[in-house]
Amino acid sequence: MSVLVPLYGFVEGDTIGLIVLAHDDDPIARVVARLQHSARWRVAKFEDARAFHGDRELDASLTVAQSGLSALERIDVRRAGGSRDAA
Amino acid sequence: MLPREAWLDLARKLDWTFRYVSESDLFPKDPSGETRVPREDWRRWEEPFKTSYREYVAGQHEKERAVRAVREAVGRPEHQRRVPRPWLNANKFHGAALPLAEFAASIGNLRAGRFARDSAWRTMALFGALDELRHTEIPLLLYHDLVKWDPQFDWVHRFYHTNNWVAIAARHLFDELLLAANPIELAIGTNLVFETGFTNLQFVALSGLARDAGDPMFETMVKSIQTDEARHAQIGRSVLEILVESDRAYAQRLVDKWFWRTWHLFSVLTGFSMDYLTPLSARRASFKEFVEEWIVTQFLEVLDAHGLERPWYWDTFLTSLDHYHHMVYASAYTYRATVWFDLVVPGPEERAWLAEKYPASWPGFAPVWERVDAGWRESDPDLDFAAHGTAIVTFCDTCQLVLCEGTPARNTAHTVVRGERKYIFCSEPCRWIFEQEPERYASHLDVVKRVLAGEAPGNLTAILTQYFGLTQETWGRDVERGRYAWLSRPPKPRPPLPSPAEAPDERQP
Repeated sequence: MSVLVPLYGFVEGDTIGLIVLAHDDDPIARVVARLQHSARWRVAKFEDARAFHGDRELDASLTVAQSGLSALERIDVRRAGGSRDAA
Repeated sequence: MLPREAWLDLARKLDWTFRYVSESDLFPKDPSGETRVPREDWRRWEEPFKTSYREYVAGQHEKERAVRAVREAVGRPEHQRRVPRPWLNANKFHGAALPLAEFAASIGNLRAGRFARDSAWRTMALFGALDELRHTEIPLLLYHDLVKWDPQFDWVHRFYHTNNWVAIAARHLFDELLLAANPIELAIGTNLVFETGFTNLQFVALSGLARDAGDPMFETMVKSIQTDEARHAQIGRSVLEILVESDRAYAQRLVDKWFWRTWHLFSVLTGFSMDYLTPLSARRASFKEFVEEWIVTQFLEVLDAHGLERPWYWDTFLTSLDHYHHMVYASAYTYRATVWFDLVVPGPEERAWLAEKYPASWPGFAPVWERVDAGWRESDPDLDFAAHGTAIVTFCDTCQLVLCEGTPARNTAHTVVRGERKYIFCSEPCRWIFEQEPERYASHLDVVKRVLAGEAPGNLTAILTQYFGLTQETWGRDVERGRYAWLSRPPKPRPPLPSPAEAPDERQP
């Protein structure tokens, strides 16, 4: 049974952080898509989105658990070539 | 009759040498505060502008008469109908944030009226407590007349009794500052930082905007309050003068802490009003320019005069000055149903003005508002929820406000693990404040953690109605319901008209 892993998500260009209620078996690509969907009122979806945990880029094909993410950690969704200095 | 100077000290300097009780019994550490200042030093405490109770009552009576006259003249719904709608919503925001915070300030001043270390200080605090009671009653009275006309004004009294996210943040601040602080922290945090620094922004600058926006009721109300604030704010400088001589580090820490906490509150409250809810024709300066005039210049002069440094995070503050209220406003607009007042989309002229006033930061916000435009273009007017966020937003474990510090390119929130719990802070100053006194803050749950703990519902409609205390009549909407003259909507394809043979004959019964 999958486990809920709520994460703090920040989409580049957005004005606020969002909670994404991910599951440990969700691929990172799905988490990124959900974050972009939730932020769509303020930021247009960008196709080249990449996910980061601190400075570490997350493999979109790996799951939340495989990426080593636990509840209430921060991930960032950025454009390729976008700012990489987020906390 | 004795001249005033001959008897006034008998009404303010009443301390004597205590022989039957100890100093620590009279002034216990928790309610009185503990510093390195020797007891005898507090006896030098002097307020610059001295007053007697008789003078105080006479002055307040005149002010009350003026407020009553304004209420009669311009305080009715028929007058408020003439106020521009965005500004009317600034009224609802301020009206809710103000009165019960003032009541908490009255309690804080009453504590100082007993536990402050000098009798003249205690006397001034007592006047301050009476002032704050008046500041509670005036807005409650004036706005009450408007409740039947517009139910959102009911939040003037209701706000602090709800679990609305803004109320949680405001209570978190004011409970600590006004209800829990000892008289020394109260004097530095409230009288010096809050009242000397920031309320001028509110009561002087904003009251001028109110006049230009055609709202003499708000103008008169805040001016009447300001005259009291100016008197009791002097407590702060008098306390600071003595405190810095023996305990400069403590004074500096209190200034640094309360400047940041106060900044966040005013950035949202006053920043929204000045840069978004004031009609463009009434704007004299931007929120940033007002802050530069009243805070950056004047407040730093106060610190310099007392040998204090500007807060250690000053560069962060300057970045915040360009961004924070814009970050929160755009976020709040797309979650407007979570508040009790309506918000407006800045039109092309407003955006040009904001771009001119905020050349460094506005390019990051312009695309956000273009997205908001796109949302409204794709939906019909009145359908607020067709252009409204539904995901759970995030909150800072210190200020309890939404995680909106930094810039659209780089939000500065960061998480910290402490024991079994993870905490998140919007900024380095909020993290620093938390870590200075973790026992004060660690057990408090922000809205997200209440949702995750099952204390609050996670569904948007449920949290609005069951937890935030809002109803369909009171939750925030777009001021214009999406009907902006400048917002063109593409024509929508119409369903084909039925042929004459298919059309119902409306003449039939």
